[in-house]
Amino acid sequence: MIPDILQGVLNGIGSVQTMLFTDVVQPALYHFGFMDYDEDAYDAIYWVLVGALQILFMYALLRPLEAWRPAEPWSDRKATRVDILYTWITKLGLFNLVFFVLLQPAFDRLQSSMVLHGIPTIELDAMWPGLTDRPLVSFFLYLIVLDFAGYWYHRWQHRFGVWWELHAVHHSQRQMSLWTDDRNHALDTLIQSAFFAALALLIGVEPSQYVWLVAFSNLLQSVQHINAHLPFRFGLRRLLVSPAFHRRHHAIGYGHEGTHYGCNFGVLFPWWDMLFKTASWNEAPESTGIRDQLQAPAGTQRCYGEGWWSQQYLAFMRIAQRMGHLGRGNVVKN
Amino acid sequence: MPMPYLHRVACYTLGCVFALIGLRARATDQVIVLDSAQAQITLIDPVTHKVTGVIPAGKEPHHLMITPDHRSLIIANSVSNSLLFVDPHTGQIQHTLEGVEDPYQLAFSPDHKWFVTAALRLNRVDIYHYDGKNFTIAKRIPLADIPSHLNFSPDGQLVFVTLQGSGELAAINLATQTLAWRMPVGRAPAGIWVVPDSNDLLIGMTGEDDVAVVDWSKRQVIKRIPTGRGAHNFRSLDDGVHVAVSNRVADTISLIDYRTLTRSSDITGLLPGPDDMELSADRKYLWVTFRFARHVGVIDMTTGKLIDTIAVGRSPHGIYFFDRAPVISPNPD
Repeated sequence: MIPDILQGVLNGIGSVQTMLFTDVVQPALYHFGFMDYDEDAYDAIYWVLVGALQILFMYALLRPLEAWRPAEPWSDRKATRVDILYTWITKLGLFNLVFFVLLQPAFDRLQSSMVLHGIPTIELDAMWPGLTDRPLVSFFLYLIVLDFAGYWYHRWQHRFGVWWELHAVHHSQRQMSLWTDDRNHALDTLIQSAFFAALALLIGVEPSQYVWLVAFSNLLQSVQHINAHLPFRFGLRRLLVSPAFHRRHHAIGYGHEGTHYGCNFGVLFPWWDMLFKTASWNEAPESTGIRDQLQAPAGTQRCYGEGWWSQQYLAFMRIAQRMGHLGRGNVVKN
Repeated sequence: MPMPYLHRVACYTLGCVFALIGLRARATDQVIVLDSAQAQITLIDPVTHKVTGVIPAGKEPHHLMITPDHRSLIIANSVSNSLLFVDPHTGQIQHTLEGVEDPYQLAFSPDHKWFVTAALRLNRVDIYHYDGKNFTIAKRIPLADIPSHLNFSPDGQLVFVTLQGSGELAAINLATQTLAWRMPVGRAPAGIWVVPDSNDLLIGMTGEDDVAVVDWSKRQVIKRIPTGRGAHNFRSLDDGVHVAVSNRVADTISLIDYRTLTRSSDITGLLPGPDDMELSADRKYLWVTFRFARHVGVIDMTTGKLIDTIAVGRSPHGIYFFDRAPVISPNPD
């Protein structure tokens, strides 16, 4: 039954993809003389539709869970609105479009030049023919490798000051919700897309699988940020990063604190935190956010921006301050 | 028992055996379809039009080509670095040849001494020596921009390459493995078809609504044959008159009279994105992949009507079956 449902969903996506492409996108490409991109555009629509499906899933299943069993009660959800905007922008592939236009040609040139200079790529799925080239096996193999890289990528986001200022956009949300996963600085998202696309290229991820690897990973990360009590029992919390485990990472005074300390950096699997001794299993509820958002004396009541533009802009200002070009600013005092 | 009777029995028995072998061979012959965005081969029974199997294939299989000895069908594993050899009758995997970088389009030269691949994504054409068994890299030639389809001059001296991004046709000298020339042809050129007994090439102009006729000896576009929007790829119809061109935006197939270089008729009522085509040996059925509809179609060439569609994987592209009408170009059968 489940395979039939999945097949039905895939067929539905395919039909909408065809309709959008043939009725809207392809005529536009033809009209404006961009037909050399028609196959790419067709594939891009698939990304957008998979993103739309994720949003649908979030509204249909995750949002009711937040209403039903909130981990942290809020008087209103106003602060989450900007995160919803981030989610729509990200999931519908606007960043991917920028990535494609700006970076894809450079990536192709890089790969071509690697080939011309005899630098091989690693075909991970060809490691053990008959086993690792099976779609399901290679899917999880890639997922594990990408998640391992994701763990270190995340640690570096906290370790390096300039990078942290970008990542702080994500951590500055004090009302963590299912939408918070996509709340990231545009530049950070672009760097992340480039990093994982390069890695995927290097280990030979199949393009058709990459869409679903990204979707699967994003969906689990949305679950991790959910403001709801979810039962991660019977060892499941050791298998997958749970909302409680990730909430600890966002907890003021426990999980991150800029470049100095951190725990629970795992993206999908907590194994890397366990392996590198950065795991904290304490699930006591704590406030989430960044310490300097707090009022004095604990913090400086620093403003990280309320809306999308201000959050993007203030991140650049903080970077400039860190690099010594500007004095300390953007501190809102009562 | 008289000898003539024994002889008849023996002949009858042998006849039955051969007939059974023949039937078995026909029964296992499959239509082989490359689902490029799903990294798989779909196999279809050519008689019942039912999908009989799905085989994982590389990362993004796009085009295919029969080997000169007709013992293998080579599938270009775009994005990955290999060629997949499959049984041309059954589609079952024979072996994989690693070390062929990002092949998208592929072709043997008419004398079968060269094997050429276009790496569309990497803006490059690779030329290999072929000795009937081994592929040895001779030269990798960087080419801007988006090299897509290939074909050869009848004397086998030049390989023609369409450059979709820059709107050009390039010619590479095979003996020296150097770029001979490039010329503009129009928006998003794709398939190339060599008109028999002439110096003319037909180029499917995917960004326009025509087929460009190029006199390659003069390097001139001498004519444009209006077909339909998004003219893309060709299949000779083996009637001494026509070649079919798929129009990927108009969702039609135009039949071009290559003697007069005019359009004879159109096949309409198709699904979105007709792309590669294959013609049955009796010339009655034209099979076509519908790139943007996840289907393969069967067209009755006597009526010019689409008579069946078969659901396959995402973005079906290359299509082949062994029992096909002869191909004029590339690689004459």
